Amino acid sequence: MSVTPSENPASAALAANTFRGEGGRKLRRLLGNWQGLTGVVLVMMFLASAIFAPLLAPYDPNALDIPARLSGPTWQHIAGTDQLGRDTFSRVLHGGRVALYVATIGISVSMVFGLLFGMLAGYGPRWLDNTLLLLFDVIRSFPTIIIGLAAVALLGPSLNLILAIVIVTTIPAYARLVRTSTMALRNTEFIIAERSLGVTLSGILWRHILPNVIGPMFILAAMDVPVVVTVEAGLSFLGLGVLPPTASWGSILNEGYLLIRQTPWPIVAGGIPLVLTTLGFTFLGEALRDVFDPRLAKGH
Amino acid sequence: MTPLVQIRNLDVIFDTDRGPVRALRDVSFDVPRGKIVGVVGESGSGKSTVIWSIARLLSANGRIVGGKILFDGRNLCDLGEAALRDFRGRQASIVFQDPMTSQIPVKSYRQQIIDILYRNREQSRSQKIGHALAMMRRVGIPDSEQRIDQFPHQFSGGMRQRMGIAMALLMKPQLLMADEPTTALDVTMEAQIIHLLRSLQAEMHTTIILVSHNLGLVAELCDEVVVMYAGEVVERGPIGAVYARPAHPYTQALINSDPARVTERRRYLPTIPGDLPDVRFKQAGCIFAGRCPKAFDRCRHEEPAAHVLEEGHDARCHLLDPRQVASSSVTAASRQEGWVPVDPGSNVAATEPLVRVRDLRVSFPGRGGLASLLPGAQPAKIDVLVDVNLDLRAGETLGLVGESGSGKTTLGRCILGLIPASSGSITLRGRELTRLSEREFRPLRENMAMMFQDPVGSLSPRQSVRSLIVEPLDVHRPKGFDRDAVALKLADMVNLPRELLSRYPHQLSGGQARRVGVARALALEPDLIIADEPTAGLDVSIQGEVLNLMRDLQIAHNLTYLIISHNLPVVRHISGRLAIMYLGRIVEQGDCEAIFRRPAHPYTEALINGIPQPDPEHRRTLASIEGEVPSVAFRPRGCEFHARCRYAQARCREEPPEETVLSDGRTIRCHFPLTG
Repeated sequence: MSVTPSENPASAALAANTFRGEGGRKLRRLLGNWQGLTGVVLVMMFLASAIFAPLLAPYDPNALDIPARLSGPTWQHIAGTDQLGRDTFSRVLHGGRVALYVATIGISVSMVFGLLFGMLAGYGPRWLDNTLLLLFDVIRSFPTIIIGLAAVALLGPSLNLILAIVIVTTIPAYARLVRTSTMALRNTEFIIAERSLGVTLSGILWRHILPNVIGPMFILAAMDVPVVVTVEAGLSFLGLGVLPPTASWGSILNEGYLLIRQTPWPIVAGGIPLVLTTLGFTFLGEALRDVFDPRLAKGH
Repeated sequence: MTPLVQIRNLDVIFDTDRGPVRALRDVSFDVPRGKIVGVVGESGSGKSTVIWSIARLLSANGRIVGGKILFDGRNLCDLGEAALRDFRGRQASIVFQDPMTSQIPVKSYRQQIIDILYRNREQSRSQKIGHALAMMRRVGIPDSEQRIDQFPHQFSGGMRQRMGIAMALLMKPQLLMADEPTTALDVTMEAQIIHLLRSLQAEMHTTIILVSHNLGLVAELCDEVVVMYAGEVVERGPIGAVYARPAHPYTQALINSDPARVTERRRYLPTIPGDLPDVRFKQAGCIFAGRCPKAFDRCRHEEPAAHVLEEGHDARCHLLDPRQVASSSVTAASRQEGWVPVDPGSNVAATEPLVRVRDLRVSFPGRGGLASLLPGAQPAKIDVLVDVNLDLRAGETLGLVGESGSGKTTLGRCILGLIPASSGSITLRGRELTRLSEREFRPLRENMAMMFQDPVGSLSPRQSVRSLIVEPLDVHRPKGFDRDAVALKLADMVNLPRELLSRYPHQLSGGQARRVGVARALALEPDLIIADEPTAGLDVSIQGEVLNLMRDLQIAHNLTYLIISHNLPVVRHISGRLAIMYLGRIVEQGDCEAIFRRPAHPYTEALINGIPQPDPEHRRTLASIEGEVPSVAFRPRGCEFHARCRYAQARCREEPPEETVLSDGRTIRCHFPLTG
């Protein structure tokens, strides 16, 4: 049942206010459930610690403190040190920067290309759709780590190579999502109405399709951040990612793995932020979906 | 004998983000045994909520906060879940508006029927199926032995609704509730379903509650009627009394604004100005006072009581209070009673037509490749439009009518170049349109606009009303025009409140969204407007407003309209000429009034007889037309209408009729026209 406010000025003003508050209402709903709140808090912690790592870290991540090497948590080194006496806590904070870099750049670039390819596949002629789909499926048929190993074997390890691998392997997911929603939109009455006005192809894609397909992309992106972070960590763990002495969560775990007989602390310290970030973004993605999914939205 | 259902002072609240909505307030009425009670009202009147309350199937945010619902003397509000389940299956069942969404898509009807009959433990499976087959034959489903193993998507809309009725009646319930049972169907199907419900009721003595916005349907079917407005019952009584002597101003307005009652083209349709009140807040006084043409002071302060007019007929209105004599001086006749200043048909140019369609054919590819070689497969090419000839003269209104699947929307879109023509020609002022590329076509779009069927769905959802209205100018005019001035001018032209310009489509009501659609169509001051079901999805009162507005704008701007609709009363009211389509062919074309008075094609006659009349004194006795529209993939031989035609002869089965011109200038495709 839809209830339409009457046309008197008071209720029109009221309606205008509720509209202005629409974003606010969504935010309140996001923070209103425990998942959304936990997600937002964890993501904020991740962002703040990565951005302000140089200010927060008590030591230079590469500074050596040989006498205190392989220590457990102490007042000087709250998360202990590694075999060279480097402060694990500082390294974890700086490792977050690597994760953030890969996640933001990687995901935003994949989103842009995913949107472009997805809209073309969904709105364009059938042969283009088939070609793009074939391409996506070929990429998706290889496990990311295998593509990573092959690429590193060819080109040598580097952070930017990881970034490129992340981008190439995540584009298909975004493109497929956009393609499906574009196809659902292309025969709706409002798109036909726009065509009847003589709106150009780019106008239809940019002004009428894009705003309607971009919402689900952000939900997918939030859920994808942990995937990308673990890919980077995984490749770095295998020694295929960032080069020593740069700290990344994967390289910290790798070193911790080698030192497991001496001390468990690097693994604990490198694993906790990975787990928390994964949880945070997953919760955030789930909560975003609940807020934006029209099927769950009450009233209007 | 006590009534089967007694609803007393029912109050229902829906909790929403924007606060509790008081959807039903103090609703009381009786449903006598063996009668059909119609609940009528516009959208937002709470008429469906009544049904869901009786079935105790309100959505999760709805709750009954007061009153009681007595069924056979038992208060349904006190029943537990187990007792309710028993009540729903055994004693009451529901026929839904859209059987496609209310029947289980992944189960065959056989399985669905066995699920329904699980209570009859004493019956064997074959007895159950036998029982179901008998019921299917009773509701008119042919080949029931084969069709019981099919799935809902394999049934046509009309057959699916018949199946819905059959399944609802399987347990022989005492009460059948039907929620807009014919709204999704064509006129001819609707007539068949009305006929079916009436005969089933006479035979099984089931008590029926029918919820509908369609006054004609209620008049055809019901014994008693309950009129609802904004969650309250404003009038109730025996059908004849309410239709002949409506007492409440809302009932009067509702009945008067039905286009089936106003057949003169030059009359304005009566409307009910204003919108529903916001029922989140308690209204002082009469709920209808804000829109009532007869409202006076007392209406705004004091809630009216129900005044009994005659046995079983009462209405809630202060005007009916015997003590209220003084202020019944009614406001002067408004535009509602008025006439259109000029006959919109009078300035039709007799010269070269604006649009000329010749031998137009549109085909869509069927299933190609190897599948087309299989026996019984679809042909490789499906003709949606065949040999269409149509002239549209400048300044006239041509109504294009047909059942769903007749190709009328395809023809409209094809003229606008949105669907490519396979062969034939379309000319606009003598210029050929069918071979133009989109780039060449674009400048022509300034002169032709389209109004789409779904008022809200045809507006891009993430654009504000302002940018939607201005968009046609953005596309066709040089940059630098004054957007705000244009938006205000257009909003005023279509009577759209200016404060709505900053809203988004989903925040508009159907009528408001429709006015945005009209404004978009008019923005470039085109010559031709193709309106696809301009009144679909609108309430009767809003429908009148939109049609009056289109009429006024036609006179002001000398517009040419092509009105595509299945709603014959609306088309009759607005059109000067009429074209009737069947299976992608125009079967009759000519002057609108002449066709309505003396249809020449049997199909036209059937369509016209199928219109439910809002007059309970003159019910039709027979379903006007049998059978269903065949698929365009498998066209019948000979005259494509012969299988459903009452007058079909041997020649009709063999030889397709050519287009011929009758003495009064109509064109027709029939071997044996009904008029000379």
